Amino acid sequence: MAVKVLIVEDNPVARSFLSRVVRESFSDTLSITEAGDLETARRLIGPLRAEVEPFDPYKLILVDLELPDGNGMELLAELVRYPATKIVTTLYSDDDHLFPALQCGADGYLLKEDRFEVLVEELQKIVRGQPPLSPAIARRLLTHFRQGASSAPNSGLSNHSAAPNPVSSGLQSSRPVPLGNHPPLDHERLTPRESEVLTYLSKGFTIKEIASLMGIKWFTVNDHIKSIYKKLNVSSRAEAAVLASKQGLV
Amino acid sequence: MGGVHARLGAAAGIPVTDPTDRLPHPAARTDLAAGEALKGDRRSGDEGGVDGPEDQLGEGPPDDLIEGPTHDLTESLKDGMSGGLSPFAGWTWRRRGLLIAYIVLGAAGIAAWTRHVASAPHLDVRWRATTSGQLELVRSDVPSLLLHESSVLLGVTSPATGFVPLDAQVLRRSLRWVIDDADRVDQQKMQTALAEVLRAQRPVTLVFENGSQAPVTPVARGLASLSPLFWMLYAFAAALALLAGIVLIGNPVGRNWLFALAAWCQTGNLLMIGTESTLDLGLAEPFASASMPMHMAFDLATAAAIVGTACLHPRRLRGAPVIAVVTAGAAIVLPVLYLAGRLTNAWWWTQACVILFGVGVIGLLSWSYRIEPHPFALVLRRFGILTVASWTLLTVAIASSDQMPGLPHNVADIASMIWYVFLGSQLLLVPFLAQTHHALREFSLLAAICTVATSLDLLFVSVFDLSPFAALTLSLFSSLVVYSSARQWFLDQLLGSSKATGERVFEQLYRISREAQAQPQRCRTLLARLVGDLFEPLQIQVVEHRFSRTRVASDGSSMLVPMPLLGDTAASPGGSVLLRFAQGGRRLFSSEDARLSDRIVEELRRAVNFDRAVEQGRSEERLRIAQDLHDDIGARLLTLMYKASSTEMEDYARHTLQDLKTLTRGLATADHRLSHASGEWKSDLSHRLTAAQVALTWTFTFDEDVLLTATLWSAFTRILRELASNVIAHAGARHVAIDFRLAQDRVELQVVDDGNGRHPGEWAHGLGLGGVRKRVRQLGGTVEWQQAEPCGIICRVVVPALSSRE
Repeated sequence: MAVKVLIVEDNPVARSFLSRVVRESFSDTLSITEAGDLETARRLIGPLRAEVEPFDPYKLILVDLELPDGNGMELLAELVRYPATKIVTTLYSDDDHLFPALQCGADGYLLKEDRFEVLVEELQKIVRGQPPLSPAIARRLLTHFRQGASSAPNSGLSNHSAAPNPVSSGLQSSRPVPLGNHPPLDHERLTPRESEVLTYLSKGFTIKEIASLMGIKWFTVNDHIKSIYKKLNVSSRAEAAVLASKQGLV
Repeated sequence: MGGVHARLGAAAGIPVTDPTDRLPHPAARTDLAAGEALKGDRRSGDEGGVDGPEDQLGEGPPDDLIEGPTHDLTESLKDGMSGGLSPFAGWTWRRRGLLIAYIVLGAAGIAAWTRHVASAPHLDVRWRATTSGQLELVRSDVPSLLLHESSVLLGVTSPATGFVPLDAQVLRRSLRWVIDDADRVDQQKMQTALAEVLRAQRPVTLVFENGSQAPVTPVARGLASLSPLFWMLYAFAAALALLAGIVLIGNPVGRNWLFALAAWCQTGNLLMIGTESTLDLGLAEPFASASMPMHMAFDLATAAAIVGTACLHPRRLRGAPVIAVVTAGAAIVLPVLYLAGRLTNAWWWTQACVILFGVGVIGLLSWSYRIEPHPFALVLRRFGILTVASWTLLTVAIASSDQMPGLPHNVADIASMIWYVFLGSQLLLVPFLAQTHHALREFSLLAAICTVATSLDLLFVSVFDLSPFAALTLSLFSSLVVYSSARQWFLDQLLGSSKATGERVFEQLYRISREAQAQPQRCRTLLARLVGDLFEPLQIQVVEHRFSRTRVASDGSSMLVPMPLLGDTAASPGGSVLLRFAQGGRRLFSSEDARLSDRIVEELRRAVNFDRAVEQGRSEERLRIAQDLHDDIGARLLTLMYKASSTEMEDYARHTLQDLKTLTRGLATADHRLSHASGEWKSDLSHRLTAAQVALTWTFTFDEDVLLTATLWSAFTRILRELASNVIAHAGARHVAIDFRLAQDRVELQVVDDGNGRHPGEWAHGLGLGGVRKRVRQLGGTVEWQQAEPCGIICRVVVPALSSRE
């Protein structure tokens, strides 16, 4: 059975280019669907219901951030529980744009101006679980998790259901979204190793350099990065769940 | 409000310390009440010599910032704030009650006295002294006297007392200014006899030189006939007494008692002079006998009290008790001796003693100023010099004109009266020195000039033997000349002159506000510098508490200027700048200074806020342009790149797209921290070099993690990228070492490759390296390429002054 891939991108040239990248990256039989805007994408994905596993879901979704009828992050936020690898494809390489996308549950990002070969390599890495992490985003992640941890001490008495900042409100915000007042769970804390990796990343070190600096294997560094991503995603998923339950969706 | 001891009674400048308040600790008695009265010293006399921080401030080097007392100072300032602005805020009901009782009693006393004066028997006749020293009837409304106009009076007879001979001396209003002891005794006798005649309120007979006689009945003069001069003097005396009461009840400490004593004595003097001004023939009892000793006692007591205050304020001097005892003793002994009839040359003794005390005050104030350059001492010394000088002039003038008949006596009375008004106006002025009371100051100056004018008049008549009219004209003329030419100088001298011209203020304000716009975080220092330059104080200090307005404190020796509130309150520096001793302690801060400072602060705030608004508008505009460029041009370039027919075209388009992104990012983001930028540069470069299979050695050192402006960030980003591209495209290198150093504002960037590039001098600089040259030049730096050994190229970029390229 063909692996279903969805590419949401308004520029037809870029769409076909990305199709080529996807085809080049994987040896599986692929069934690539293209969508030019959010509405088409939503229709293609079909109704989302939390308790029901979607039938024959897309395994890979590439979403452009700038779409004619909205921001790709809206779709990402809706798809928080959708069992696909979600990748942001964008021209915006700065953390102001990318970080909220990662918080919305993206598993990685591709910079559209990169060479074909680079894109193929990056895409494979993401799917394998080695997402990219630019210095700026690493810095943001450090701040993000540090804030989550620092809000802990004074949160003991506060109400757990106190409204966390909804993810969707952070779309245009350049600020890291605070995690509300609940005490940090495991997925909101970084291990010392992860913090170390992030610190090195924020200083521009490559994975290999970090591995040699920390005296570990490079794939261990990658594992840390993966774990950091997961923590971010899990935390945003938890937030989304709280949000959903507050709105009576679940 | 426990322990509130420095309330800022700015409006009326009244010390408002409650004596019943208990002190938390002595240091909290910071002497900083705005416009506090002259003698409102909180650490004086009966308080047992509690030392306030001011003492410690005064003894240190004048310009250092003292850490210790700052806290207490700030605390007490806060307390002062909570006391509110009303001069009577913090007055207990007991004190208000006391003040009301004082006013009621005083008013009742004055009313009773006025009634007594109005009911005194009086002949409704206007007299004049002839040149031969006799009395001439000028005018009368009494029918029986109409025929006797311009007749010379010999005396009065009445059945009860017999004949009382009279001469022109009875017209003298005050025996205080009769110099010769024998004269005074004669006059006193004549006055007493006349007073007895009149008091009987029976018809008396006037005996004229031409032999004619006229009966006339003395009647009570009635309130309506009291002269305007009388009312003015009484009002003035009442104001003085009221001030004394307020100062004393507000803060009954030693020096305020002395101030009140001086003020009361002057009140007494003025009341007596007012009363005497109504008596046109003969002094009624008890004036005839009491005039000299009372005036004498009042004068000496005033002088002694002022000596006492000079010992206590602005600094408590070491020998104070001794000096106080000596002066007080002299002030008591002289009148007692006079009353006992054992004092010969009483007038001379009194005058000399007052001059001596005055010189003493001047000396004490000079001494005090030398210990602590409190401008108050200086200002008081100027007052003192003026007062003593005019008193001496008056003494000389009256002494030299004593033997002249006729006019001089009148003039002597008027001159002395004006001098008392002058002294009274100074007493009124002193508690308000820090405020600008133009009217009062002008009035005081006018009184001083009038004293001088009348004294000169006397001198001209007596010494130069001019005719009265010529003397009057001449003295008026010379006084007017002195007044008009020296008025401004006098006024400046009274409070100390300000050297800040409008031009200078403008220039400084402009410069500082520009600097504050560039660096709002330095606002504090800048403001301190500006007001420091403007007022040249001996001490500048930043205190934490922020006041809503500039205020003058501690008798005008200190001023507190609040920091301007900038747009976002979080970034605004709080606190105030405390200035002490303007112009090296030569000048008092006035309420005009406070207004000027308020304007400066407001102007500074406006300038910074305006610039912020402009900057915000600019950044919004930049952001919009960046977004448009990015979205529109970026998308097109991307399409162009995807559709490129050749790899070169594709690379070119990619390159352009990357440049566009750098450009838009530079536009959209304000500042980049150097350490952050370095991470991105390293990541970007290693990404690209690795893709081209070139190894990168990256060293990055900096002594300060500066904020790069968008311009600097984008310049360095593009220089680095261009140099890397060059290596990738042309060098064929396997290894690149990039070394970036920032030390003491100087950037040294070195890119060394091991490629096959040679002879950089012969390179044709295309778009890429030309761009590098251009950008480095824009940064004010230099770039050079050299051959490296054994192979490759070294590129050196040096930017000498990074921070000047903003």
